[in-house]
Parts: sequence; structure tokens; C-alpha cells
Amino acid sequence: MRSFFNLFLAGIWVASVVQAKAADAPRRIDVKRLSKTIEDVVVPLPNEIFGALNKLDSVNWKEFVRTDKGSNFTERPRIALLLGATIADGFIAVQAEDAPSVKEIGQRVVNLAKGIGVGNSIVPHAKAITEAADRRDWNGVRQELDRTQNSVQQAMNEVHDEKLSQLVSLGGWLRGTQVLTSVVDRHFSADGAELLHQPDLLEYFQRKLANMPEFNVPLLGQIRNSLVEVKPLIEAQSPISAASVKKIHQITSRLDERIVTRTP
Amino acid sequence: MTSMRPDVSTTRRVAFLFAAALALQVAASRASVDDAHSFALESAEPYVKEGYQVREDYWGGDLGVGEKKAVRQQLFKGNEYWFWMGTEVERAKVSVHIYDADGKLAEQTDSWQKGHFAAAHLVPKSTGSYFVIVAVDSSPEERTHWALVYGFK
Repeated sequence: MRSFFNLFLAGIWVASVVQAKAADAPRRIDVKRLSKTIEDVVVPLPNEIFGALNKLDSVNWKEFVRTDKGSNFTERPRIALLLGATIADGFIAVQAEDAPSVKEIGQRVVNLAKGIGVGNSIVPHAKAITEAADRRDWNGVRQELDRTQNSVQQAMNEVHDEKLSQLVSLGGWLRGTQVLTSVVDRHFSADGAELLHQPDLLEYFQRKLANMPEFNVPLLGQIRNSLVEVKPLIEAQSPISAASVKKIHQITSRLDERIVTRTP
Repeated sequence: MTSMRPDVSTTRRVAFLFAAALALQVAASRASVDDAHSFALESAEPYVKEGYQVREDYWGGDLGVGEKKAVRQQLFKGNEYWFWMGTEVERAKVSVHIYDADGKLAEQTDSWQKGHFAAAHLVPKSTGSYFVIVAVDSSPEERTHWALVYGFK
């Protein structure tokens, strides 16, 4: 009888906790009133999108692996963009479970980071990437790529190079979007196209780019103009069409080409 | 004639002490957010074994009792997310909830709150922006440091 009573009390306690939890959170809030207290978005990692894409369709990641060393730049904004795109290439090589490419890309990331003076911060991560790739510990490689990007950006922020740090994120996002649109363009599905619904993120990059007048790099102007083209295609309230996916793929491919090659 | 102005060495000493005090204050404040971050990561630990990748990036700051902060986050349908919040103030009670772009509570029912830890679970029904709202519900401190991390699989 006593144990039944204890069980009964425990049941009441659990129910009250659950109810308190439900009562704590309002079912609806007015998001317009949040504007003064909103923190900036954290830019998703390319593999956050690739993971979602993988669940929709089987993707032949090997065809997207890119290991060519690309051009060497001296302009720091261009190095930052290429660094972001190269880290995204690392995530693609992990999706493809291609250990030699992962290791090559790891080295390339170190060289690019050295080019903007933050190489030292990521040498341990590059070593960890190589070791994890040798063990075929793909989750470990993903974690180290995230740490690499984080360390590079923290090192940049510490020397007040926040704008370069934002370009690293932008380079990764553009490369990720190029690959995403390539996959969805080939095997169109509404769910795949929905992954492009990222208007706030696009606005975030537009805001950041607008705040970089000191970088006299034509490529940044091209990216700014291209984002204006992309915006209406992903903002649509209705599902994103196959034609929009194709268009975004053309735009991001053009930009990616300019990020990796020496063009004015 | 004696001057009322402090000599150069006194001025330098005062300036040095002021700078040192300021540096200590900044370091203490940073250390507390770092501590809060450690607690948020502690909450996330069991989920890593379930395959969640915890992002290196995190948000942090300090809040008064009853204050809220919103974080806008792009999330993707197909992934599952957990957001973990923590503070180093052990007698504080914190909470975290997730709302969709229309302001509708979107989190799963297994989201939880345990004293100075809280977590919210989301399986997005659509790809887009979500609002993660963090709050300090009670605390013995005037301002309570907090940190929020997230993971996905």
C-alpha cells in the first residue's frame, strides 16, 4: 500500500513537472517584438545542409570532390573567400569518404590560413584531420573541420579582422549552395529545393557585404549583385521551383569559378 | 612651491592599476561566459554518443532575472536539432524554447529544464528561420552569464 502511495506521489510530481514545463513556454510569441534583442545568425556548416540532402536522396559525393590547388592570391579578402570554399570542399570530401582528398584539402587550408596570418591557430587541427582521415573516422574529421573554421575565425576576430572572418563563412556558404543546387537540379524534388529557403541568411550576408567598402576587390561587388539576383528566388512563399534552382546553380557556379580562379 | 598635480610616476601607477583592474574585470566576465559554455557543453555530452555533431560556435552573454534573448537560426528540414543552455550560477534556473518564423512554439515535448541547465529539441517541419529564446527565470545574481550551443544529426 505504501509503495503504491509513493508511486502515486511520484506520478503527481512527474505530471506537475511536465505541466509546469508546458505552462512555462507560451504557445505563441510576437516575433516582431523581438527585433531589439535578436542575436546574429550562426552560419550553418556546409555539412549541416549536406546531411539534410543525404536523407532525401542518394548523392554521388565523389563527383563533387575538388582537390586542385587553385590560384594563389595576395588580396586578403580573396584568400578568405577561398579559405571558406576550401573548408566546404573538405566537408564534401568527407561525405565522399575520400581520405587522400581530405588530407590534401587539410594542407591547402593551412596554406591559405598562413596567407592571412592565422596559420598557427589551425596547425593542430590539420594534424587531427589527417589522423582522423587515416582512421576513417568521418565524424572526427567533420568535428575537426568545424574546429578549423572556428579557430581561423576566432584568430581573425582577435586581430579585429571580423570582416575577413565573415568572408570565410560566405565562401563556404556559396560553395555549399552551389553543390546543393547541382544535386537538386539533377534530381528535382520539392523537399530538396526547400533546403534553399534561407532568406535571413542571405540578408545577413548582404548586410555584412554592404559594410565592407574598404575592400577594393571587384569580386565582392559581383557577389553583392548576384545575391540581389538570388534573393527573390529563395524568398518565394510558394515552393521553390526547378527553374529557380537551376538559376541559383548558374549564379553560384559562376561565383565559385571566380573565387577559385584568378580573375579581376 | 609644492604642486597639487600628481607626479608622473604616480599618474603612471594609477593608470597601470586602472588598466590592470579593467583587464581583470574583462577577463572575469569572459571567464564566466566560458564557464557557462562549459556547462552548456556538459549538457550536450550524452547526445554526442547519439550521433549529434555539436557546433564549435556558440552564443553567450549575461541576462537579468526575467530577461530574454532571441537567437535567429537557419534550420533545415531533414535534420534533428538540440539546443543546450547552461550557466555557472548553480542556483539559477534557465530556460530555452524554440519558435518558428510565425512565432509558434515548435519544439518537441522531450525538451527539458533542470535548474541551471535547459535544452530544447526540434525536428523542423520546414526549412527556414527559427527563433531560439533563452531566459534566466530565477537567479541569486543580478546578472547571470549564459551560453547556448547546438548540435544536429
